[in-house]
Amino acid sequence: MDFLTGMRVSASGMTAQRMRMNAISSNIANVNTTQTPEGGAYRRKEVVFSAMPQQRHFGEILAGKVDNDIDRVQVVDIRPDRKGPLLKYDPSHPDANEEGYVAYPDINVMQEMVDMIQASRNYEANVSAMNTSKNMALSAIEIGR
Amino acid sequence: MANVFDKTTDALGASLNYRLLRHNVTSSNIANAETPGYKAKIVNFEEALSRAVELGDVSPTPIGNERVRVEDNPEADVNNDRNTVDLDKEMTTLAENSVLYKAALALINKKMAMLKYGITEGGR
Repeated sequence: MDFLTGMRVSASGMTAQRMRMNAISSNIANVNTTQTPEGGAYRRKEVVFSAMPQQRHFGEILAGKVDNDIDRVQVVDIRPDRKGPLLKYDPSHPDANEEGYVAYPDINVMQEMVDMIQASRNYEANVSAMNTSKNMALSAIEIGR
Repeated sequence: MANVFDKTTDALGASLNYRLLRHNVTSSNIANAETPGYKAKIVNFEEALSRAVELGDVSPTPIGNERVRVEDNPEADVNNDRNTVDLDKEMTTLAENSVLYKAALALINKKMAMLKYGITEGGR
């Protein structure tokens, strides 16, 4: 247990929120994409967060210290969401099917914007936690001066 | 215990350790503010410290020790994703904890200054 534990946890939070931000950017950029390498319309990407116990140093594990109280966050998966494509009638579109419908990704840009703000706020919260750790550690160095 | 550091200094040291634990637990809550199913944790700092002082053992306490209870926060709301972290509350805890950590540090520094004064001026 030291300041580095807290800082590593905050860093994991920042990484996770940044990956989420990338997924959101990708969703907004591809709101009208009808072709993908996998075939079909673009599918909205969603990141999956999971709480993982903070990794211990070798020495601490050797000393039998088990600690499940401090969890870092990890992106375990970036997967397409379950929503199917949105069919729009547009017979002149090159990707239209026989009936004249085009499969568009079912992405609500407003929803993505809200997610983006949430990711940004969470990132800031992690930055303040990290700065607080740093300030506390710096003042601890000053003991006895 | 014949020691230049009295019980108050030891208690302040233990206080710093608990504050650090609380800080790390709060950081963990903030990092996991969006993790589905994550339960917010709290360290009952005052209770833990008073128990440590009562037992007379205020030595530096590693995490995972039974004296520190890290429990689910009973006051947190449960959202759709069963996450119970209240980000505003965590930020408040973080700020409060940091200020009190620095207060304990200031007290330790005063103790050290007194000790130093005794060492330098006492022999004259």
